[in-house]
Amino acid sequence: MGHLHLDDRPARAGALRTWLPRRPDLPLLLAYGAAFAALHWMARPWGGGSGFYSLWYPAAGLRFAVLWSRGSRLAPALMVCEVVTDWLTGALVFTGPHALHDTLGVLRPGFSTAIAISLVRSVCERNERTLCVPPMPLGLAALAAPVLSGILVVPLDALLDARAFAASTPSARFLSLTGMVVGDLLGILVLAPALLWLAGLIDTPRRPRLGWPACVAWPPRVAWQSPLAWLTDALVLGLCLALTLALWKTGLGLQPSPAMLGGAWIGLRHGRGAAWLTILADLALFLPYSALELEGAVRIELHLGIAGVVIVTWLAGSFADAQVAARHSLDKRNRLLFQAERLKTLRAMSVAVIHEISQPLSTLAIEAGHLHREAARHAPDIAESAALVDRKARTLSELVRRLRRFGGRDLDEPSALPVAMLVAMVRQMVAQDVAARGKTLRIAPMAPDLVVHGQEIELAQALLNLVRNALAQTCDGLVEVRAVREGSHVALGVSNAFDPAAAHSNGPGMGVGLMIVRSIVEAHDGRLEREDGDGFVRFTLLLPALETTP
Amino acid sequence: MTKDLQGAEAHVPIAVLDDDADLAASVARMLARCGHRARAFTQPADLLAALEGADFECVVSDVQLGAMDGFALAEAVRGRDPDIALVFMTAWPTTSHAVDAVRRHGGVDYLEKPLDEERLVAAVGEGRAWAQRARQRGAALAMFTRREREVLDLLVLGHSNKEVAEILAISARTVEDHRAAIMGKSGARGLAQLVALARGEGA
Repeated sequence: MGHLHLDDRPARAGALRTWLPRRPDLPLLLAYGAAFAALHWMARPWGGGSGFYSLWYPAAGLRFAVLWSRGSRLAPALMVCEVVTDWLTGALVFTGPHALHDTLGVLRPGFSTAIAISLVRSVCERNERTLCVPPMPLGLAALAAPVLSGILVVPLDALLDARAFAASTPSARFLSLTGMVVGDLLGILVLAPALLWLAGLIDTPRRPRLGWPACVAWPPRVAWQSPLAWLTDALVLGLCLALTLALWKTGLGLQPSPAMLGGAWIGLRHGRGAAWLTILADLALFLPYSALELEGAVRIELHLGIAGVVIVTWLAGSFADAQVAARHSLDKRNRLLFQAERLKTLRAMSVAVIHEISQPLSTLAIEAGHLHREAARHAPDIAESAALVDRKARTLSELVRRLRRFGGRDLDEPSALPVAMLVAMVRQMVAQDVAARGKTLRIAPMAPDLVVHGQEIELAQALLNLVRNALAQTCDGLVEVRAVREGSHVALGVSNAFDPAAAHSNGPGMGVGLMIVRSIVEAHDGRLEREDGDGFVRFTLLLPALETTP
Repeated sequence: MTKDLQGAEAHVPIAVLDDDADLAASVARMLARCGHRARAFTQPADLLAALEGADFECVVSDVQLGAMDGFALAEAVRGRDPDIALVFMTAWPTTSHAVDAVRRHGGVDYLEKPLDEERLVAAVGEGRAWAQRARQRGAALAMFTRREREVLDLLVLGHSNKEVAEILAISARTVEDHRAAIMGKSGARGLAQLVALARGEGA
């Protein structure tokens, strides 16, 4: 579910100010008014008389895109904006017996779109079923908005325009509303994806930390295909369009079924981007035809068919994209699994090694202790040697006990870890590498009371990955590690000089390394932050600090 | 504490068992230096065979021994002499083993390798003290009949003659007879001494 903006949730009741436009919204509203007027005007050829709404209404797509990306809080402003635009263009007059009815009629679509989007979002937020996985919420809202708008027409007409309402037959009313829903649906499905993509392009650089939601991860993806594949696709689409034209020539009118086949084919093979382009091609074929003088019912039938084409094409594209996303997440999981397997093997190996070492070390430590005590009576240099051997044996014993904690029984028991110890451990692990490659690892002095609670081996692995990345990317050979306290967190930062122009492309596995870091840190209730400064890059592990008793 | 010089051959109260002969010998020597004479073994079977003649108070055993693990050995040792204290050491410490060692097998301690010398010596000292108490108690109780032991256990728990009679479904008079017999055999002068006796704290 995509939240392009943090302020896009509906405000709590009573917070009236939330619903008012803010100063930064004004240019958007002005542009919206102008674009709305233009699109409204463009829809005229498909409007037809006798109470029919436009059967192709791109303005609905504009409205939907703005409300979806900027949040429902803009709904009142958009509704007012539409009323003003219609009044300026003369589409709405505030005099006469139908003024109230007409004004409410202009307000109605904005209201119902906002309600539909909010409803779909709130349902999907609390739900994890397939229908709620992006891009499905977008599709659901795109369908719900025109339907809700159409339903709302009935009570408005019945209450405020009773005479006309009584004069029309139910079937005529139904036909008229169907036309409206179809027109809005077409407008939303055709225009909204492209507009949301553009909005994404504008927003992305400003909000690098918000993962771009899959529902708008939409730019047409043209993956490399073999010439044969291109040929096949062109052939299929060409055949479908040719079949449409051939049917038309035989006097059957424009039949949408072949276009539906072609759209499904392209959508399934290439995703939403190509699907959208196909939809454009279909519209270029159908809309000029349906703008001709057609009988109302025939036109509605045709537009129902077009709506079918658009929905099928779009769904096929969405499905293909969802498949790709699923495959990516599966790949990611496979890589993590592989890493976990490797860690497991390493742990098992280290436990075995520790066992083999601890056995002779026990003997060594006991005898060294004995020698140390006995040697006190001998010459000073012998006593000194014995003391040294004893001390080293003790150090080694302590090391083995700690290593066992690393790979053995305390593996799954998180403990209090001084950050300085983690850093020292990682420095030891990369020391040889650093020296061999002529690089420098500078560790800023850190307070000894910086303590976090977690699994030693995993946090060390996370820091190790960051340091290794930094060593690979640094352009002046220097990598700096520092740890400070930031409120209730410990910020453990790894920074290096970075020249984007000179940087060689990310080495293999680097992305996986960061992924592991992120998953480890998040498992410890922390987060990973990246900061790109002037000529440097810094990755910071933010971990909850453990309060140490003074 | 030790009865080192009893005849020509000194009493060896500790057995050390580890399949690593060097380590077994090293631990045995270290314990000897700390006043606990010890004999090293590398095979569980040898140790079990030696149990007959020797009078071990404490067995220090590795947990992983190949064919027979330390816990199986513990069962075998206890089967022959329930009053031997056990100390386990291991290079593969696990929490469940540690719990088993102390709870199920009555181990005094469970030490991981590399060994903490002081802790090992302390555990062995504690084990020997426990074994000595258990033996004294055993010796003291050996002179009583089964009924007398039952009466003694209840008296030590703080029951009066009358209550003991009710619990054992015998007459108060009989309880008094048993009590007199217990006092007579043990030479205890009062309940406090009986309690000490039952705990193995000397008669």
